[in-house]
Amino acid sequence: MTTDTTPILRVDHLRKCFGAACILKDASLSLRKGEIKVLIGPSGGGKSTLLQCINCLVLPDSGEIHLGGQRIDLANKADLYRLRQQVGMIFQDFNLFDHLSALDNIAIALRKVKKMGKREAAERARLELEQVGLAGKAGLYPAQLSGGQKQRVAIARALAMDPKALLLDEPTSALDPELIGEVIAVIRALAAQGMTMIMATHQIGLIATLADEILFMENGVIVEQGAPASLLGPGNPSKSQGFCDRLNDLADGGG
Amino acid sequence: MFRALLLFLSALLLTSGQSMAATKLVNGIDANFPPFAFIDKTGQPSGFDVEAMNWIAKDMGVEVSHQPIEWDGIITSLLTKKIDIIASGMSITPERAKQVAFTQPYWIIKNVFVVKKGSALTVETLLKGKKIIGVQQGTPEAKWLKEQIATQRFDYELKYYNSSPLAVEDLLNGRIDAAAMNDAPATDAAGKKAVQILGTFGMEQEDFGYAVRKEDKELLDRINTSLKKLMASPDWEALQNKYELNK
Amino acid sequence: MPTSLSVLVDALPYLLQGTFNTAVIVSAAMLLGLLLGVAIAVGLVYGNRPLRFVLGLYVWFFRGVPVLVLLFLFYFGLFTYLGLPFNALVSVSIVLGMTTGAYQANIFKGAMLSLPRGQFKAASALGMTDLQTIRSIILPQILRLSIPAWSNEYSIILKDSALAFVIGAPEIMARTQFVASRTYQPLPLYIAAGLLYFLLTWLGVAALRTLEHRLRIPGYTHHGNP
Repeated sequence: MTTDTTPILRVDHLRKCFGAACILKDASLSLRKGEIKVLIGPSGGGKSTLLQCINCLVLPDSGEIHLGGQRIDLANKADLYRLRQQVGMIFQDFNLFDHLSALDNIAIALRKVKKMGKREAAERARLELEQVGLAGKAGLYPAQLSGGQKQRVAIARALAMDPKALLLDEPTSALDPELIGEVIAVIRALAAQGMTMIMATHQIGLIATLADEILFMENGVIVEQGAPASLLGPGNPSKSQGFCDRLNDLADGGG
Repeated sequence: MFRALLLFLSALLLTSGQSMAATKLVNGIDANFPPFAFIDKTGQPSGFDVEAMNWIAKDMGVEVSHQPIEWDGIITSLLTKKIDIIASGMSITPERAKQVAFTQPYWIIKNVFVVKKGSALTVETLLKGKKIIGVQQGTPEAKWLKEQIATQRFDYELKYYNSSPLAVEDLLNGRIDAAAMNDAPATDAAGKKAVQILGTFGMEQEDFGYAVRKEDKELLDRINTSLKKLMASPDWEALQNKYELNK
Repeated sequence: MPTSLSVLVDALPYLLQGTFNTAVIVSAAMLLGLLLGVAIAVGLVYGNRPLRFVLGLYVWFFRGVPVLVLLFLFYFGLFTYLGLPFNALVSVSIVLGMTTGAYQANIFKGAMLSLPRGQFKAASALGMTDLQTIRSIILPQILRLSIPAWSNEYSIILKDSALAFVIGAPEIMARTQFVASRTYQPLPLYIAAGLLYFLLTWLGVAALRTLEHRLRIPGYTHHGNP
């Protein structure tokens, strides 16, 4: 399979300030098709803001965003809607639509955004649910699902839109430990299928084994980036390794 | 759902479009004023003025409908074209004549005090004895009684009511000592409740007239013509008998 | 002298017709209020500053002026001035509708603000437009949440509708008065009027409770902003 050299997603010098506080000072990155980049770093470092700037849920103050080689006009609402149709997002708090069943959660965007017919959308939704292992839960409402199930439905919902890339904002941070595994399994399966992803996470396993590149963010800037091979490893002096060490300590000592 | 609402609202509005056509007149009445205007057992407007107006309308060749309006706002309703005539026991007064045009007078009324049956009160006591007198808001007798406190050094407290029957009710409750009103509705009340007419209290007698807007000169002429006919016909006395106005 | 009971029995069809008119007024007013309330709430939560200012004035005005004053203002003043031939029934419905619209706007706005912001974000992230999000995600949830408060608004507007008699609308209160004036039997008549209002309140609230039950989402209990 030939890899396209044009990045699927590229952001340059994104900056976002809320009043006097600049959460994101200057961030740039690019993603090629099939790449998986992992954002790590301390809380408040700007990871979540960066992700939300990429799909413009938060409008960056300055900087540029290119999707599939095309520049997105940040002042044009139609451009923004189109951007979001092609870039999916998974939230820490799942954010399933509470008044809709699992099936309808997936189908609704298909009907409203992709203008699919009711039956077509329902069929596609069912397929996606199967893919994440929740075929039997189609008629259940979010309040009736466990955290891990909710996140899997959220992933199915994002995938149904056939996104070019997926943004994952700490997808397992709100889950009880015993439920993390089922979500990680789905994410690994996605990676295996070649999904392009940027993920902010504290999960050591994902950082070490899934990432093509690690980006360490601190104070709104990417201070360190590189392949896991170069940044991680016992005794590696990198900030990333230091961060992972602290995570390991928490995992072993805490809990 | 929103579409259903819009349809409903438009239906509601459409049922409202009336009183603009010239061949249909709306008569505003104080439906709490028997025997001149009231709602009968079957829920239809009835009364001396209502039937007189029906007769006049027929003679004029137009349709008329009767619309109950709060007495206090009835002239405003006429001026704002919500109604076209007021045929409802309205006294002709100089103040009113400034705002509306009256037909020729068709009835004379006196204003009387009504007290509880068997009461020992006299007109004199009521006028000067610090009593409480109830009266309908927006009537000439209300105005007269208020003015006379200063002019004739009368001494009583006035209580205002939306309608004469309400004043009679409060009379029976003991909240007021007497009710002041036109003689015809007073007779009506005396026939239904334990009250009696004490007598007049010094106010000049008044004439009833029908009222229209000043600019409706043609309408006024036509009503006057038909009114004259009515008063000259045997139907006039029949009406008076029906509503016991001859007593 | 007719007995209280016979007076009541004779007048019943007339009063029941008045009850129907009251029901029409209240239904029209509540529906108008719903439309206005949703539109204003959306504007207050998602609109720009000038829009929020204008809508805020509307809410402030209709909450601040007594319904009685509004009835006179609109019926004798504004409608005439604008040449709108609305009769008393329609005028009351409109005035009450605009009033409850202001109160309903606040109900819906509160519900919207209490909904987790993630709901809106997730919809946007999927590429839904703001309008689609409001219509398909926000409104279905907040309308369900607002049913109890809406039911309360209904009973208030029903009682306010009694004021319609001052402009001559043929509803329960006015008609009861007419019969009382003719018969001089206030007690049985006003008791009957009270019962008729009570009946309408009870029916309306029961219907809304049934609706709330029908629309219930399994397991959904709203905890507010996480």
